[in-house]
Amino acid sequence: MAAVLVRESTLERRLLRADPNSIPDNPALMQFARERGEALFEIHCSACHGRHGEADPARGVPSLADREWLYGTGLVSDIEQVIKYGIRSYHPRAWNLAIMPAYASAQPSARDASIKPLSPANIRDLVDFMVQKQRREADPVAAARGALLFTGPAGCYDCHAVDAKGDSAIGAPDLTDPNSLYGNSREALTMSISHGRHGMCPAWVGRIPAAALRETSVYVYSLSHPGGG
Amino acid sequence: MSGNRRSFVLMGGGALAGLLMAGYSLFTARGTSTLIVPAEAVALVNQQPIARSDYLLQLQTLYGVDLQHATAAQRHKVLDDMIREELFVQRGKELDVAATDPDVRAAMVNSVELEIAADAVTSQPSEAQLRSYYASHQARYASEGVMTLRDFVFPQGGAKAAAEAAEVLRTSVPTPALLERWHASDSRKVADEEFYFAAQIHLGERLFDVARALPDGAASAPIALPDGIHVLYMFKNKRPTPFDFAAARDQVLTDYRNDAIGHLRTGDEAFLRKRANVLIADDIR
Repeated sequence: MAAVLVRESTLERRLLRADPNSIPDNPALMQFARERGEALFEIHCSACHGRHGEADPARGVPSLADREWLYGTGLVSDIEQVIKYGIRSYHPRAWNLAIMPAYASAQPSARDASIKPLSPANIRDLVDFMVQKQRREADPVAAARGALLFTGPAGCYDCHAVDAKGDSAIGAPDLTDPNSLYGNSREALTMSISHGRHGMCPAWVGRIPAAALRETSVYVYSLSHPGGG
Repeated sequence: MSGNRRSFVLMGGGALAGLLMAGYSLFTARGTSTLIVPAEAVALVNQQPIARSDYLLQLQTLYGVDLQHATAAQRHKVLDDMIREELFVQRGKELDVAATDPDVRAAMVNSVELEIAADAVTSQPSEAQLRSYYASHQARYASEGVMTLRDFVFPQGGAKAAAEAAEVLRTSVPTPALLERWHASDSRKVADEEFYFAAQIHLGERLFDVARALPDGAASAPIALPDGIHVLYMFKNKRPTPFDFAAARDQVLTDYRNDAIGHLRTGDEAFLRKRANVLIADDIR
């Protein structure tokens, strides 16, 4: 019993002292953290992310099992920052730069008064532009008008980049990816542009121990790397 | 004799194990002054840990490198800066800078409010709670209405023409010839198709209230305003459509959390006021 406790304590210390991005190269640490992280994930994360990190477009929940990351590049350290400080979690260090404006409202963004509302026709054109970007059937004339709006008065390029491929440094999704966060139907895209999006992930720093944060991060990493590092 | 020796050895072993455990506990227990830097920290500054993950993030932010690729100089610089910051924060507490510096005070108020909000965010409401919230606030969850209409203005004194126009427009669509006949003009306050909020801004409250009630293909009665007599013709009025729970869930969750944050903040403030000893000067009461 004592030997098990000493071993676990030693592994926990090694886990915490390790460079998080080097953990996937260490099978012993990886296995230790993944096993403990799975239980933590079940308790703290599965209510939104499901047991295995599966996507749920109806709720805007991203897949944690693929290698496309909305925030950061999918390194253990990036994942740990999200788990630690959250996304729009009200923690001062949370990722909270990008908030999708609600363009079908008088004041689309509470933060930026320079963002102006769009008309219903504008929104339809932007949807066609996005559908075309996802290589699906769209009205080319409407998509062309949408492209002008995208890089012009609507200001979408500011977060999503001129090529609409998004920016993981601020959590702006890649709009050319047909696996849209909230689904890729015209209705879902219209809903996103009209009413905005602001998904949230809580900050767990101070609520669970540092080792638990690291273990959960390693488990989340392992979901997209089932074979190991 | 051999039995006595075994007893002594066992007793000694037990005492040594006890000492080791006590020593370990002494140096690792929470809240205990220790000389050992915890595994999750890179330094202790007057027992205050500097988190390893914050140190790594700072390395990444400043130099774009992880721990393995950082030079000794980079590591030293980041650690030194973080220790300096911690020392100054601790000194700031000793000097009670919040008593005099308005920026520090504002930051502290903001920080406590954020902390309260963060507490609310970590508790995930059940689907039943969200559905109940949706049911009791259903009016909030609807699409924005869209209208396509024309606002015709007749000159002051043109009440007869306006009344005739309103009557004719009940059964026919407006044409330039009709407008010319009545000496009416299009105010151009509204574009072809507008959200309700935009039409409300462009038309003003009085005209918008009339317009909102018009069905497709209907004309309003004449409305006298200081700039002339208005007759509205509605081509298409798409009223706000309620969202079902699935469509509204994202917004319901946000609103639910915002309400929870509001309640927590109110509760925390009430608690702080209750336990505080606040004395107010006689002349200010």
